[in-house]
Amino acid sequence: MKSRSRRIDFTGYLFLLPYIILFTFFLILPLAYGLWLSFMRYELTSPEAAGSHPATFVGLANYREALADSWFRQSFFATLRFVGMTCPATLILSLLIALAISTIPDRRQQIYRLAIFLPTMITISVAGLVWRWFYAPEFGVFNAFLAHFGVKIPWLTDTHWAMKSIVIMTLWWTVGGPVIILLAGIRQIPDAYYEAAAIDGAVGWRRTFHITLPSLRPVLLFVVVLNVIGAFQVFGQPYVITTGLPERSTEVLLMYIYDVSFNNFRLGYGAAMSWILFLVIAIFSLIQFRLLREK
Amino acid sequence: MRDPWYKRLTIEALLLLVAVAFVAPVILIYLTSLKPDSEIIKFQSLLPEHPIAGFHDNFGHILNSPEEVPINRWLANSIFISSATTLLVLTVDSLAAYALARLRLPGSRVIFALIIATLMVPGQILLVPLYLLLNHIGWIDSPLALIVPAGAGAFGVFLLHQFFHAVPRELEEAAMLDGCTRLQTFWHVMLPLAKPALATLAIFTFVGSWNDFLGPLVFLDSIERYTLPVGVALFQSSYAAEYGLTLAASVVCTTPILLIFLLFSKHIIRGIAAGGLKE
Repeated sequence: MKSRSRRIDFTGYLFLLPYIILFTFFLILPLAYGLWLSFMRYELTSPEAAGSHPATFVGLANYREALADSWFRQSFFATLRFVGMTCPATLILSLLIALAISTIPDRRQQIYRLAIFLPTMITISVAGLVWRWFYAPEFGVFNAFLAHFGVKIPWLTDTHWAMKSIVIMTLWWTVGGPVIILLAGIRQIPDAYYEAAAIDGAVGWRRTFHITLPSLRPVLLFVVVLNVIGAFQVFGQPYVITTGLPERSTEVLLMYIYDVSFNNFRLGYGAAMSWILFLVIAIFSLIQFRLLREK
Repeated sequence: MRDPWYKRLTIEALLLLVAVAFVAPVILIYLTSLKPDSEIIKFQSLLPEHPIAGFHDNFGHILNSPEEVPINRWLANSIFISSATTLLVLTVDSLAAYALARLRLPGSRVIFALIIATLMVPGQILLVPLYLLLNHIGWIDSPLALIVPAGAGAFGVFLLHQFFHAVPRELEEAAMLDGCTRLQTFWHVMLPLAKPALATLAIFTFVGSWNDFLGPLVFLDSIERYTLPVGVALFQSSYAAEYGLTLAASVVCTTPILLIFLLFSKHIIRGIAAGGLKE
């Protein structure tokens, strides 16, 4: 009996082996390698030159450089502005849409879910192309429409507007996922809660605030944390739509890391900035867990 | 209990407006791809005036000029990379998830916890080290750079683990009593049961790989190795003034994914909803 179970264990590890090899080599190893790199000066003239330029240990120099680098700071604050606008707006918009969909009969819910989720399926270069056309100063769809009211908005050309335009586009592109998760959460709330509330006289908005939202707390936590992690890693929207302009006001952190690492091949510095971004994301996630899990 | 009729009507009318606003840009891509450039710039109506001429202009041009913008190659690359990635992820993840969920291996709990922990790791942090690693093994500018590392992702293991965990043990034990080996049990009993979860994972992996932008941008160099999303971006910068051509390229890039979405929307919606409710 004992020997038989041992043989089963052995084949079990064989099942696990292919994934573990990939997991170790392409996830754990690069994770550790990136941390090691962040303490190194590792600069190449070209990718072909890798190996001929040895990395030298410089301690925290890359991290110190980042804190003193005005372009790092500017791209960091651009990212914060993006996160600060996108995440609350995503939360509110997705909640409103999910609540609205939940009030209509089941048969018709599917079509709305599909419509809201559709943009998520479009790759960023295509979505960005369309929105650049929407935002174009003269021939753009938005300004052509606004011209009827004598209004003209510098969507992508003004430093005050550019990031807002990216945020609006991002809402269209990404709000579908949160809507579907929240809607599934709303449908899981037992009817009995609402019936009990109705007896106590809670209807309409009071029902939403006293029953729906408190019951959704764990789902909301999940949506918010995931959304913030994603928003900090914003790249494609500004890369495709504004290329960081005007005056680098939409150059977000990941765009700067990309530029430093793959245009200038300063890979040690790029790795260090990646770890700073990682730490910031981790801190924000912890704060959200604290705030939303308690009570 | 229910809201009064005028309130329900208002909510649904607003919702309809929002839904139209979400779908409109996608429909516009298709309609406008059938317009010649002169019509696009003037923008007088949503519908193309001469759709057949427009189609001929834009699609005829991009499909017949593979010299500077080899869109046929990009399409082939995208199909190959996304299919190979999906196959790899399904194979590797289902084997691992089954072993972790069912085989009572010493240490499997620790391994599973470690795998799940990496779900929270933001992908950007792997970019630079992965680039150097792939460069070291000579995979930069090869489709392998996009296919193989995708097999390390934890999402599929997590999804299938939940599923295998819920299958009654009796089914497996009956198969083993009938003389099936572990692999046969897995292949003939567990995998057919897991079809819905496997389908969800396959769709997510395929769509994610197809739409990936940062990966091909960093790991591929030569234009003829590009996938459609980075190809369309290149198109945009080299044909900035020719909206019609760029939109036609966008249609080629978007249509396969839209077909998948329309055919398998139930799987997609259910998969996302389930992902959100598990934790």
